[in-house]
Amino acid sequence: MPLFVAGLSHRNAPVALREQLAVDEDKLRELLRDIGATGVVREALILSTCNRVEVYAVADVPGEARTATFRRLCHHRGVGPDSVETALYTYVDGEAVRHAFRVASSLDSMMIGEPQILGQVKDAFALAQSCETVGPALHTLFTQAFAVAKKVRTETEIARHAVSVSFAAVELAKKIFAGLDGKAVLLVGAGKMSELAARHLIEQGAFPLYVANRTWARAQELARALSGTAVPFDELTTALAAVDIVITSTGAPAPVITRETVDRVLPARRGRPLFFIDIAVPRDVEEAVDMLDGVYRYDIDDLKQVVDANIRERGREAHRAEALVEREVAKFVTRLGDVEVIPTIVSLRERLEAIRAGEVKRTLARLPGATLETREAIEALSSAIVNKILHAPITKLRESSRAGSPRSWLELVHELFGLGRK
Amino acid sequence: MHQTLLTLAIIGYVVATGLALAYLVQREELLHRLASLATLAAWVLHTGALLALAIELGRPPLASLPEALSVAVWVVVVLEMWLERRYGLSVLGAFVLPVALAFSLQSTPMRPLIGQTLSGAWVWVHIGLALVGIAALVFNFAGALMYLLQERQLRAKRPGALYYTLPALATLDRLTYRTLALGFPFLTTGLLLGVLWAGAAWGSVFAFDPLAFLSYVAWAVYAATLAGRAVGGWHGRRAAYFAILGFAALAITLGAGLFLPGKHGG
Repeated sequence: MPLFVAGLSHRNAPVALREQLAVDEDKLRELLRDIGATGVVREALILSTCNRVEVYAVADVPGEARTATFRRLCHHRGVGPDSVETALYTYVDGEAVRHAFRVASSLDSMMIGEPQILGQVKDAFALAQSCETVGPALHTLFTQAFAVAKKVRTETEIARHAVSVSFAAVELAKKIFAGLDGKAVLLVGAGKMSELAARHLIEQGAFPLYVANRTWARAQELARALSGTAVPFDELTTALAAVDIVITSTGAPAPVITRETVDRVLPARRGRPLFFIDIAVPRDVEEAVDMLDGVYRYDIDDLKQVVDANIRERGREAHRAEALVEREVAKFVTRLGDVEVIPTIVSLRERLEAIRAGEVKRTLARLPGATLETREAIEALSSAIVNKILHAPITKLRESSRAGSPRSWLELVHELFGLGRK
Repeated sequence: MHQTLLTLAIIGYVVATGLALAYLVQREELLHRLASLATLAAWVLHTGALLALAIELGRPPLASLPEALSVAVWVVVVLEMWLERRYGLSVLGAFVLPVALAFSLQSTPMRPLIGQTLSGAWVWVHIGLALVGIAALVFNFAGALMYLLQERQLRAKRPGALYYTLPALATLDRLTYRTLALGFPFLTTGLLLGVLWAGAAWGSVFAFDPLAFLSYVAWAVYAATLAGRAVGGWHGRRAAYFAILGFAALAITLGAGLFLPGKHGG
């Protein structure tokens, strides 16, 4: 099965090279048609993202096809082909299948488990389909790659844990409060990142939201943007007694929330946990707050630490995902063997079925008095003969395909049964 | 017959406990599946052992403390399997099975009660209620332990394996509260019936029996915890420490009942 993928990615090529080769959609169409017209490839798909440029193709001579394809790509982008040629990797057959599965499952991404890549592969597939460069082999390959990607996502936790600071804060809140439904949030100060974290919390059901800021107008403005309520800055302590989650990001040079303040509001909270997300530098919440029972305080470094742990966790899950992909590759390679011979098998069946149907019709026309039973018997008899005749050649085609040498058999079958040019 | 089955069941619990603890550390799905299988197999053997014992004795195996404890373990394990499946709490086994195993080790070999006269329906009700109470409090203990571990993870700010596998603090706090609220009335009524029955059968409510005496202590700890939670607004860590203290008292009580000479058939 002469399937191959050639390209370069963040793994082996610097961004300086990748950006030179990145192609927009219109150029891609042009390129695909161009490559298709040369006749060196039978099927082709180009995946172009900011982290990779890859050509997936089916060709009789992969080496030649690869060179021709990238020559054209370089030509389109005005890049010298030599600098690209040295950075290219090529995978053939089973390895190409593995690569396609790994890319779609986000195992080859810069950030393992990132969700965008699957959409990008799907777009590339749709584009190649619209340019009619997708044939049976690439169609089967990518349909399966999408299925594998979905399986990886649901059966492993590769994409589960947050890798951004604001999402990590939301996850921590969930580890404390379980559900965030009806948890009150207080925003102290108005930074971009704290606003983002607040939005994430609201999406998870947190409500109501209060905003405190030294500038009253700014507090009101932000409260309106987030459908919250502005509270005067000097009533911070009162607010602290009522809320569950506090996000701080003021520009104050010294802590605005001290251990003493928090200690004072604790009795009124009756043991409800209080979670501080302190994104400010210098920090807004005194470190000594950690000592208080039921109070959790995470500053920006703590959050980064959680993100790092989550990334390691993704790495762990990636091992499980790799094993899953490996099993899928093994399954697929056996199946892929048949792809090349399937069109021939189909036309062979169609051809014999047409002959059979025609002959049955003629025979029945000469037997006007035939009962329903007789007609059915003739149908069944003829079908059985056709199936018996087809059994051996179809089996032989499948076997030859799995052995990797179906060409001569395909030609033979075409000749023998007069199937027309392929 | 029942002794063979019970020994096999205990071996099964040992294997299940080992696998559940390994899963807690390694987080390999396969370990969890094996642990669940071992738990189920051991529980089936345990069921067989209890049935065989009941047939041999010609009565429910609830007349002595070792017998009742064995039934309590049986209840705990079936609840553990159910809760684990119902709430997707795959690490629960690692916290409940060791306790179940310890209880079942103590309940063997089982000796029938000697020189005791058990009469009246009250005593069966006493045993049955206490048994349900103890089973609920095993989960109270497990919940408190998980709470404290998760709390430590969140305070350390360096997520480890437990951070990812243990449920949220609020969930664990609710689990400990609910199991206490469920177990305490059973324990109380069970004890009360015991006191009344003891007054009638032993001639005195204070007839010296180590289990009876210590159980008042355990009861007092649980009563204080429940009062603290319901009225004092206790939450989280303090409630969890008390849950563990209460369970320690309960374990000592049961140990005393098993190993010291008394009227509970140790």
